[in-house]
Amino acid sequence: MAGNSAPIAAIELVGVSKSFGAVTAVQNLDLVINDGEFFSMLGPSGSGKTTVLRIIAGFEPATSGTVLLAGQDVTSKAPFDRDVNTVFQDYALFPHMTVLENVAYGLRVRGIGKSERNLQALEALRMVRLEGFEDRKPSELSGGQRQRVALARAVVVKPKVLLLDEPLGALDLKLREQMQIELKELQRKLGITFIFVTHDQEEALTLSDRVAVFNQGRIEQIGTPRQLYERPESEFVARFVGTSNIFSESEAASLLAQPEACSVRPEKIEMRPSSQSQKDASVLPGKIIESIYIGSATRLIIEIDGGKKISVLRQASAGSETNFDRGQQVFIEIRNADLVPIKK
Amino acid sequence: MDKYSALPKQGVETPALARRISTLLYSKVKLRLTLLLAAPLTWLVLVYIAALLALLVTALYSVDSYTSQIQTQLTFKNVLKVLTGQVYQTVALRTLGIALLVTIVDTLIALPIAFYMAKIASPRLQRLLVIAVLMPLWASYLVKAYAWRSVLSNEGIMQWLLRPLGLDTPGYGITATIITLGYLWLPYVILPIYAGLERVPNSLLEASGDLGAKTSTTLRLVMLPMLVPAIIAGSIFSFSLTMGDYITVNIVGGANQMLGNLVATNVGNNLPLAAAIALIPVLIMFGYLTAVRKTGALENL
Amino acid sequence: MISKTAMKLSALTAAAALALTGCASATPSPTSTVPTALGKTEGTVSLLAWPGYVEDGSNDPAYDWVSKFEDQTGCMVTSKSYGTSDEATSLFKTGDYDVVAASGDATLRLIASGDVAELNTDLIPSYAGVYDFLKAKPWNSVDGKVYGVPHGYGANLLMYKKDVVKPAPTSWDVVFDKSSAYKGKVTAYDSPIYIADAAVYLMAHNPELNITDPYALDETQLQAAIDLLKAQRVNVGEYWSDYLKEIQAFETGDSVVGTTWQVIVNSMSAKAKVGAILPTEGATGWSDSWMISSKAKSPNCAYKWLDYIDSPEANAAATGYFGEAPATAAACEFMGQDVCDSYHAGDEAYAAKIYYWTTPIANCLDGRTDVECTDYARWTEAWQEIKG
Repeated sequence: MAGNSAPIAAIELVGVSKSFGAVTAVQNLDLVINDGEFFSMLGPSGSGKTTVLRIIAGFEPATSGTVLLAGQDVTSKAPFDRDVNTVFQDYALFPHMTVLENVAYGLRVRGIGKSERNLQALEALRMVRLEGFEDRKPSELSGGQRQRVALARAVVVKPKVLLLDEPLGALDLKLREQMQIELKELQRKLGITFIFVTHDQEEALTLSDRVAVFNQGRIEQIGTPRQLYERPESEFVARFVGTSNIFSESEAASLLAQPEACSVRPEKIEMRPSSQSQKDASVLPGKIIESIYIGSATRLIIEIDGGKKISVLRQASAGSETNFDRGQQVFIEIRNADLVPIKK
Repeated sequence: MDKYSALPKQGVETPALARRISTLLYSKVKLRLTLLLAAPLTWLVLVYIAALLALLVTALYSVDSYTSQIQTQLTFKNVLKVLTGQVYQTVALRTLGIALLVTIVDTLIALPIAFYMAKIASPRLQRLLVIAVLMPLWASYLVKAYAWRSVLSNEGIMQWLLRPLGLDTPGYGITATIITLGYLWLPYVILPIYAGLERVPNSLLEASGDLGAKTSTTLRLVMLPMLVPAIIAGSIFSFSLTMGDYITVNIVGGANQMLGNLVATNVGNNLPLAAAIALIPVLIMFGYLTAVRKTGALENL
Repeated sequence: MISKTAMKLSALTAAAALALTGCASATPSPTSTVPTALGKTEGTVSLLAWPGYVEDGSNDPAYDWVSKFEDQTGCMVTSKSYGTSDEATSLFKTGDYDVVAASGDATLRLIASGDVAELNTDLIPSYAGVYDFLKAKPWNSVDGKVYGVPHGYGANLLMYKKDVVKPAPTSWDVVFDKSSAYKGKVTAYDSPIYIADAAVYLMAHNPELNITDPYALDETQLQAAIDLLKAQRVNVGEYWSDYLKEIQAFETGDSVVGTTWQVIVNSMSAKAKVGAILPTEGATGWSDSWMISSKAKSPNCAYKWLDYIDSPEANAAATGYFGEAPATAAACEFMGQDVCDSYHAGDEAYAAKIYYWTTPIANCLDGRTDVECTDYARWTEAWQEIKG
């Protein structure tokens, strides 16, 4: 990212584990997050992503392992001694303080004078476009506005790293999409590292420079959104990031003449009128058992001979007026180049 | 056969009536409310308001000093006596002082206990602690007060514990009264504060630390302001219960008397005077409640 | 919390309302009919008495004189004990009790308020055996009409811990002028009537006050007693009205000297090492009377109880247990003459030295007409002031 000389990572986790009693939440995790990166930790609930975030913030001590912030060991330091700030899932705004007092809080506890901190807090509020709301109480704000106050409160103390714990989870779809754009803009403007925890793969792909996919306390795969989508290395990633058709080793051998298990994205599969064989591709006969119209495309579920169901996405491009009805006999073509081998 | 043929008929009629009543009640909101509230309101008016008025009126009566017969000509004699009499002022101030001290002591003890219960203890331990806090409430008030009488005695455990430190038991007196009342009302103070703490999300404390506040700063700037209503709610219990108490001070208070003792002394022979004295704690509590009403603490009860 | 205070208040006002209605209906009725013959017994009788007066064996199986009464008359007894005369009068005014055993500082008030009925002593055969010097006294009769039959009499003694109070006291001065030696460990009876104890002391030590009757104090004399008691207050550890509380305080040494009853002395363990004396100044005391409520639900059983408790055997048992002189000479046969002698039973000269509790009233009880005496209401007020 930052040239050839080994840059100092914003965050580095070395062999970090975390157990709650008998339950292991994070297992021997190594992770490097670069300076200025928008990094997402994606995974289903219980996969350990939030725990890793809380270990970085200092809310949870790691059972073992080391946490480095900008090259410094902070493993045993309290949250208030770490140069990171967090935007909480529930925003965690202080209900007894006004918006301005909330935003100025981090400056206040650093001993900055009232007029100076109010000035900076107002500046932060302007950045999240909340001018004029400074005298309200959090209870008088909408969800999206609270979200912005939480952001302003976290960035006003100019941390090197901003941690965001599913910050958009409580917002409705429209607002969420709008906030995604604002978050991205904010990150560019501030130029600091964002670590973003989410279970929404679309959100992770949209926002991030890099994404780590978590499963059962381990990272399944780290990569750019494109790498994750195009080249999922495991069945879990293939299924969790987008939709995939998975072929087990035996299915791959019998249906696709491939030596190992692999996956293919629904939009990569073509419909063919006949069983005419293609070079470097497999053509399979099947029957449409479900046809779902989703506006920009149509999702078809096709049962191929032998009973396996394949998901196919047909883009609604101009000129392709072909109707596919339930029960119709079709042929699907899967090109070998679109197949992604899956590690066991 | 008659028996059976009568059944469906009944079965139709009764629901029809019930249905008509239901429909009526459903459409007439005010009627529904009136019926719903009639019983509790009657209770409230009779027991609370009427009782307070009766107290006020009784305070304006006088008594035949020889036969203790009540004379119902209204007079401010008793009220004036209570307002101007030195002994009443002294005892009222002492009672107020004891009530304040009990409240302060209880709050100081309750805060860390409630904090531990709500924020540190595991859910299992939390349940056990709540039971432990409530447990003393199952024992009789008198048993507990007499237990403290024996604890604080010259030959009691307190003396035995303090002797090696070169100290003596406080013995019977105001200190003993504060200790005993503090013990008696502690659960009533812990529980509202615990409930208040439960309502403070952990993320607020984490956010404060995250923004750079040391633990003490977090307690001062975030925890305490949010707990004020809960603390006031708890203080209402310890304060008002102490204001009205006369048994504990009788048992461990040595020669001291509180307002409740003056009421008890007079209730047999001079009921109007007793009523006039009883107005003092009522007025103090009324003032206190009015003052705290604005803090929202009453919603925490 | 609001509800708690209000509940207390409402309880108080409910009591007030009760007392109000109770008083309104109980007009003193000198013309009320005194029964001339007893009817059928009602099956139950409700008694209000000092602790130790009505024992059915539940406190100590060795002391039971109630069961025999129940067997003889078929009247089942329920009873309640009280700690001070003020408590007795307010409890009795509820009308829940048929019979009360009251001391002289309560009897006149009960008679005046019409709460007790005039008695026909012909219906109480054992009354004939009662000492004459206890009959028709100012505290149990009015204008020759008898309202109460005597139970027993005794003195408020001075109790002290032998290992602390040395030399053994002979005077009340250890709780008054010399009480500072036992600061914080002096105890006194918690009732306005205790003012009379101070007056007895002043009679002996301050003759210039001219007190002749400790229950007939003019304002100057009362003030002297108040001053004495206020000085004592500084050294008082606690006041007692619950006799169990005093027993415990002397057992643990929280109290070492103060007024007591013989029954308390008798209840102390040997380990407590207490002594009790009748000091040289004399003492206040009591001559208690059994009286019947003017609203008695079981008047026949009530008469039966009055007769029973003055019968020699029962009277001996009850007064012997409490530690006071019996009301009848024949009781000494059951108590043992030596015990009777220790209480100076029947000794008129000794009995005259005890200043029996009586209700102080504005008309001086000592016969003075040139001054107005302080009444019980004034004493109640003074007592609160003394305790402060």
